Amino acid sequence: MEHHEGSALVEGSPFVLVYMSWAVIIALTLIAYLGTRKLKKVPGPLQNLLEMAVSSLYNFVEGVIGPEGRKYAPFLATLFFYISIMNIMGLIPFLRAPTSGLNMTIALALTAFGYVQLQAIRANGFWGYIKHFMGEPLWLAPLMFPIHVIGELAKPLSLSLRLFGNVFGEEKIIVILAGLSPFIIQPWLKVVPIHFPMVVFAVFTSVIQALIFTILTAGYITVLISHEQEEEVREAPVSAGPQ
Amino acid sequence: MIYLVMLAFAVGLGLPIAVLSAAIAQGKVGASAMEGIARQPEAAGRIQLAMIIALAFIESLVIYALLIFFLLQGKLPATADVLERLAGG
Repeated sequence: MEHHEGSALVEGSPFVLVYMSWAVIIALTLIAYLGTRKLKKVPGPLQNLLEMAVSSLYNFVEGVIGPEGRKYAPFLATLFFYISIMNIMGLIPFLRAPTSGLNMTIALALTAFGYVQLQAIRANGFWGYIKHFMGEPLWLAPLMFPIHVIGELAKPLSLSLRLFGNVFGEEKIIVILAGLSPFIIQPWLKVVPIHFPMVVFAVFTSVIQALIFTILTAGYITVLISHEQEEEVREAPVSAGPQ
Repeated sequence: MIYLVMLAFAVGLGLPIAVLSAAIAQGKVGASAMEGIARQPEAAGRIQLAMIIALAFIESLVIYALLIFFLLQGKLPATADVLERLAGG
């Protein structure tokens, strides 16, 4: 049964996607550099846009994590912009979404995972970090410790597979619908672009997926840096979200 | 042959079952989030956030089913292959 072409998980060269992601990195860096090169009191259009994006992302992260979340905002905001641009990239002709390959999403998820663990150790100290895994009644620690460790290790898996599956499935659906479009018989056009509504919808889901990745990473940070006593005291800030 | 039949059933029915149950679950999440927002409009932002996270968790289960679907689909033989096998007995 030599029928590996249909196996969707291995098709295409993985390096194409890596080059695409490099292009995204370079473009983002260029935009950030051009926008912040000459900062002015009265901002120009690019600086205005960047300021709006950055401040809404900062507010958003503070809404999720709380007031101490400001120091995690740069990483999370970078994740959001990077992933959303990579997702949208697949909708432009001749480009492919780097996140439609498992390599890219696993790399992203491992980066987020490592960052979360490092920040947890930095916030609680190494012993507090271990203690967090042991759970509340200390005599249950032999049971709870492995469960918590496995739960922690499942996070990068679910993060990467969710992003990959969404972007990849979306691209597949668009390809299938585009392949169907010449078969619609009617007198006016050669082909009917029936995949077009899906493309418009994909712009929305791309941003939503990037947002979910960011929210979940922020949520993991919140869970791991919180001390049990302080959690009840913290009042709930109402977040607006970056709409 | 019975293996191929079972495989075809797994490919065809696995994803719809996951999608059905996830649709029910997401509907429940959405409905209760709307209720919560209607009851407390000032907490809309936080409720929306929690709702999106819950939806993402439910959705990821369907995505796992989708990945399994793609894996199994790659294992399906070509039609000519099956016909040959049927002719051969």
